[in-house]
Amino acid sequence: MKSFIRLIHAASVSLSIAAATTHAVDWTAGMKEGNPGLRSMGPLAFGPEGILFVADTRGAAVVAIATADTVPAAGNRPVKVDGINQKIAGLLGTMADQILIEDLAVNPISHNAYLAISRGRGPDAISVLVRVKSDGQPEIIPLDRVKFSRGALPDAPAEGVAGPGNRPGNQRQESVTDIAFYENRLLMAGLSNEEFASTLRAIPFPFESVGRGTSVEIFHGAHGKFETRSPVRTFVAFKVRNEPHLLAAYTCTPLVEFSMDELKPGAKIQGKTIAELGNRNRPIDMIVYHKDGKDFLLLANTSRGIMKIRTDQIERTESITTPVKAERQGLPYETIATWQGIEQLDSLDAMHALVVRRGDGGSLNLESLDLP
Amino acid sequence: MTPRPASWLAAVVIVCVVLMACRPGPSARGQNFSGASVRVHWRRELSDTNRFVLEVVGLDMAALRQFQDRKPVPWPRLLAAYADTGDVRVDVELPPMVGTYRVQSGILRFEPGYPLQPGIQYRAVLHPDQLPGGRSSLVTATFKLPAQFSNPGTVVSRIYPSTEVLPENLLKFYVQFSGPMQRGHIYEHIHLRNASGRDVDLPFLEIDEELWNPSRTRLTLFIDPGRIKRGVRPLEEVGSALQEGQRYKLVIDSAWRDGAGSPLRETFQKEFRVGPANREAIDPTQWRIDPPKKGTRAALQLTFPKPMDHALAQRLILVADPAGRLMVGDIGLGDEERQWSFIPSQSWRGGHYQLVVQTTLEDLAGNNVGKPFEVDLLEPVQQRLSNSSVRVPFEVR
Repeated sequence: MKSFIRLIHAASVSLSIAAATTHAVDWTAGMKEGNPGLRSMGPLAFGPEGILFVADTRGAAVVAIATADTVPAAGNRPVKVDGINQKIAGLLGTMADQILIEDLAVNPISHNAYLAISRGRGPDAISVLVRVKSDGQPEIIPLDRVKFSRGALPDAPAEGVAGPGNRPGNQRQESVTDIAFYENRLLMAGLSNEEFASTLRAIPFPFESVGRGTSVEIFHGAHGKFETRSPVRTFVAFKVRNEPHLLAAYTCTPLVEFSMDELKPGAKIQGKTIAELGNRNRPIDMIVYHKDGKDFLLLANTSRGIMKIRTDQIERTESITTPVKAERQGLPYETIATWQGIEQLDSLDAMHALVVRRGDGGSLNLESLDLP
Repeated sequence: MTPRPASWLAAVVIVCVVLMACRPGPSARGQNFSGASVRVHWRRELSDTNRFVLEVVGLDMAALRQFQDRKPVPWPRLLAAYADTGDVRVDVELPPMVGTYRVQSGILRFEPGYPLQPGIQYRAVLHPDQLPGGRSSLVTATFKLPAQFSNPGTVVSRIYPSTEVLPENLLKFYVQFSGPMQRGHIYEHIHLRNASGRDVDLPFLEIDEELWNPSRTRLTLFIDPGRIKRGVRPLEEVGSALQEGQRYKLVIDSAWRDGAGSPLRETFQKEFRVGPANREAIDPTQWRIDPPKKGTRAALQLTFPKPMDHALAQRLILVADPAGRLMVGDIGLGDEERQWSFIPSQSWRGGHYQLVVQTTLEDLAGNNVGKPFEVDLLEPVQQRLSNSSVRVPFEVR
């Protein structure tokens, strides 16, 4: 969903912070070569050195794939691929209505776009990884012989196993709403199809033999004085007061700040609500960018368009702890009216975002847009 | 990959081979075409009769070997297959299907990377002029498996909670289907309709990933938490999705397609009335326990004062024997999720048993054991339960 994490510092965006802390690590340690056997493909995120993380919820795992796509992009070229869903359907021998674009992630090194695709919508659907280079032609990435490693989702019950009590099948399944890589951890937000509890996890990478990870139940105080357990929809990592934080967007639509240091096994952490962005809305994707000496968040939504959110007051923003009466409160933002129909969003380069947006006639287009 | 040349529209030679999916046989081919004795046809794979491959017979092998000397071999320039959309303007822009090419025993074979689908017309295009000395005319073969609706009888078999009176702060529904369903854009098929027949606007938490069980026969449908809590701004503005005293219907539209692509056999409606909100934590000490007699395999029966979550009540309530070991047996739910029963695989012995209840158990409003769905932050923290399970003793005599 988002490529390599952009970190906001009080003064400047600092990709270099992440890079500086990661140079000595062998990121492919423990990887083996073969077919990772993905059973599904959910959210995507890039880590260092062209490593692509893929959430496989049906396989109850997150998979790191070394794409070897590590040649730096030569300049910034605009991208415009009309009917990307039709073209991918053509490659896969099916119709566009049988193609679901699960997520988009841009390789921050090569600027190539990666799309998690479901070919088919039924139980026998096939997950496919598609890459779009600067020539605009989608290509299938074969996964039968790649370097990869797997991290098991913590606490995910093994499919088909009945525990004590002969529980009738195993109907539980974890869903992942967003993933991101930060320094040496894969961060993951999700919820289950049974217990109503939003979780954030930090899974160390390279994955250990069984990635136990950490599980954190999240509460926030945005809804008056009551804690809630609404799921995190999308998030980014950033630095406030030089400390790593997560900025998470929830349904209807608080922005909540969490200290990353509090992500500890079993901990319950309370976030600080730094903005209320309006109700009856669902955030889709969020990115961070730097422009004119300032850092901004760009948040794509289902019904409130694209929000450009200033962060220069993030350190001084008071936590919102009482019911909000105004249309909006907290960090100021402007709505970018010209960006319509956005369904996927990621950073392309320093000047552009890459989006999947719905165009005329319902077709989906992949295109780069100037960052506002 | 090679873009399809628009010139195929002017193809001088077209061969249509239509195979019926139900027709058995290792190799079906239509009338042959001989454009300088080259034939293109689709055939059923011998080793896997669900797969079809494309074959070209009669190519000049010497010319083909010369073509293969190019690295990488530009196979799609010579032979390509396309999934036609029926719209020529779209089709001319489509890339060819991915797959593997092989030359064996004088036959050029293309194996599609993904199985052909019923109802789609596949077009193979051979460009003989890509071979040294080849003719300029195209050879085209189309193929279509008839659309199949193998399981037109999928229905909504049940919606949980079963009870007809639901709390105003209901947290979720489970929609149980009789077979696997298609995912993607599902929320357009789900309606919450009030007594005057109007749809409640955006009552559900719409999640792109969709909350299915592994076999994709059960969908979890959360009410948007912003529409069920006190003090939440959307609630103040637009009211809760469900209002006490009102009647509603949860409608599952028959246009929703099942895993085989067929619409549901019928639209399903669950009618219900809305009662007061429930904001009380679950208290297992209030459950009525009817212990079985020792020496039998009779059911242990629990009766809850209010219905429990259908899925969680079957997974998060366990029984420990006098030695503290979790017991194996069959769990059932009845009386609209107010009754829970456990039949052990081995006879009860006399002694002190325990119910082991995970605190993440939920009632219909998402209240947990020891903790209501909403927690007032001003209340003392000590009132919250920190253990992951509670134990309730009972005796078998």
